[in-house]
Amino acid sequence: MVDVGTTLEMVQASQVGLKAVGAGLAVGLAGVGTGLGEMGIGAAAVGATAENRDMFGLALLFTVIPETIVIFGLVVALLLLF
Amino acid sequence: MLRPERMRRLLIVAPKSETDTIVRELYRHNVYHIEDFVPESGSSDGLSIGHPLSGASDAASALIKIRAIESACGIDPENVEVRTRIPASKVRAMIQTDLPAIIEEVEGLVASRSRLEAQQKEHEQRAKELEPFVAVPMDLDLYRGYTRFSVFTGHIAHDVTIDAPHEKYFSDKVDGNMIVVVVPNEHREEVERTLLDAGFQAIPVPDETGAPADRLKAHQEEARRIEGEIAAINGKIAGIRERHADFLVACDELLTADVERAEAPLRFATTEETFLTEGWIPERNFEKVKEALVRATGGKIYLEELEIEHTDAVPVKYDNPSFARPSQMFMDLYSRPQYAELDPTLMVAIVFPIFFGMILGDVGYGLILLALSLGLLKFFKAGDGRLLLISLRNASIVSIIFGLLYSEFIGYSLPWAPIIYSRHLNIGGHAAEHGAQVAELLVVSIWIGILHITLGRILGIINARNLYHGKHATKAILSNAGWLGVMWGIILMIWSMYAIPLMPDLSWLPAVVMGFNPAFIIGAVLLVGGIIGIAQENVLEVIEIPTIISHVLSYARLAAVGLSSVAIAMVVNYIAIDLMISPQLENLSAVGVVIIIVGILVFLLGHVLNTALGILGGGLNSIRLHYVEFFTKFYKGGGKRYNPFGMESKFTEE
Repeated sequence: MVDVGTTLEMVQASQVGLKAVGAGLAVGLAGVGTGLGEMGIGAAAVGATAENRDMFGLALLFTVIPETIVIFGLVVALLLLF
Repeated sequence: MLRPERMRRLLIVAPKSETDTIVRELYRHNVYHIEDFVPESGSSDGLSIGHPLSGASDAASALIKIRAIESACGIDPENVEVRTRIPASKVRAMIQTDLPAIIEEVEGLVASRSRLEAQQKEHEQRAKELEPFVAVPMDLDLYRGYTRFSVFTGHIAHDVTIDAPHEKYFSDKVDGNMIVVVVPNEHREEVERTLLDAGFQAIPVPDETGAPADRLKAHQEEARRIEGEIAAINGKIAGIRERHADFLVACDELLTADVERAEAPLRFATTEETFLTEGWIPERNFEKVKEALVRATGGKIYLEELEIEHTDAVPVKYDNPSFARPSQMFMDLYSRPQYAELDPTLMVAIVFPIFFGMILGDVGYGLILLALSLGLLKFFKAGDGRLLLISLRNASIVSIIFGLLYSEFIGYSLPWAPIIYSRHLNIGGHAAEHGAQVAELLVVSIWIGILHITLGRILGIINARNLYHGKHATKAILSNAGWLGVMWGIILMIWSMYAIPLMPDLSWLPAVVMGFNPAFIIGAVLLVGGIIGIAQENVLEVIEIPTIISHVLSYARLAAVGLSSVAIAMVVNYIAIDLMISPQLENLSAVGVVIIIVGILVFLLGHVLNTALGILGGGLNSIRLHYVEFFTKFYKGGGKRYNPFGMESKFTEE
């Protein structure tokens, strides 16, 4: 596996780098997931609120439910980095 | 506090002759929430909806006139500052004496203004029509009055050659070019075809005489003169606004009250000789209103307090200390509490700013938001906007306090070490002594989540006792206790297996059964008992159990969102100061100055963006933790808004 030219420092550096990549993927992919989730809910929520102003609170509540996913991503990223 | 204001239900029956007195008395107290009378179809109780009091239509039409004048003068009663309160009797006298003159004056001014505006438009239109003809050096009379010739005038794409005998003038000095062609009538059609092929668009010759340039100038001057006159009229209207705004808003208020009073019987039930109405009065005002009604009518009234039944939709009036009142806006946004349930406004008022401060936690951003909210408060005199700004103001004060504790100032550290856990990330080599304590911050936010949700479930138990009765109440209480059991069971089981910083470590306890220690066994018992508790109310609820974990972990946003805002601030500082400004300051050059200016722009733009994100991140996430994680544990909502019959008079006094 190990190339002839690889030193210990390089291995350590690439480990740190891969951690950062992993953290980035955790936030990024979780963000995409949240976005996909909120897409449909948000459209329906805006429609419902336009029909009936009283729906706003409930609509906001529904819209932010998938928000938790990206927070999990952020938490995982922070745990990876620190 | 923690409950909406207690209400009592009052039935009023009185002869019709007393209607005016009673309505006036109720209106003055401004506490009686009228329960609208809805006639039941086909019932034989002989009740029908009442008729408006006399004078309703007069007051209504006068009110419409005053509102029209207010809008013509640009007066908005919401934004008029109260300078003096005019006695109602004086306003009434002035409605008779002064108002007709004011109405006449304003109507006259508005009418002449719209007439002048029409004239101005007319002149401008004429001038516009004349513009293309200015390019042709020919009097306007010469375009018409021929019997043997046809004249074509209009725009054209390019100059054309015409085979038939003709006279032509072409100019490309005006937009779209201008062409004038005069041909004998017999060649009219072929010339027209040639012209149309070249994209000819006919324009009519203005119905005027003389040189087009002179006429154009005359029209423009006229339009300018009229504009001056309109400005003079606007000045006069502004003068009227200056002089009479106080009186007009007072009239508006007085007549609105008159109309509301006159139309009140439409909400009452009447028989031939009497009327009856039901409504709600807050407990603290109840006896006073009752006495006042008896006194005003000289005893010709029957009052009865009705029992409040479980199914009644009692109007809900908040009862909160003054510092918590702005948070009522957050409650109304979600849903007003029901009469029987707990009103969590006070908890929102305390916890929301703390969450906001934990997330933002920066002295610099806190000061910016404080200045922003205090500045905007000057413009918002009333309404939800003002309440929101007051909430923002409180939240930014807490942010400043947390900023002092975190030792943060727009991404830089203050001259002391963080008093609580550090959020100083290692960006650009500026690591503080030990860097950010991310794990500790996350655990603390999880703790807050556990406690907040536990509080929510306990409130759920109290609410279940208040809202439901008999078997239903027992089931709801057991189910809430079950949710608590499952949550704490899972927590105990985790503690018994892993040592987590800042949480009790139970993993050292000796194993007793099957390699499990006592804490694990207690946790497992709680879990199983909890699931049974949940299932006895509704088996389907069991599939919701994973939300316990996701809701608790959701509080991690208190640390996570805050850290991301710190990261943005530090990155902006690093790019702007360390990469752009400092290196250039060391050896200044012409290019260096430009780079420094760009650096300052990056700094300002970055922090403006981060402030906006701070409001959104701090505000939305904090309120969301309340709406989604906290309220779903106990809150029902859907209460009816308390809407007393009456008005707070701002501009008039009795």
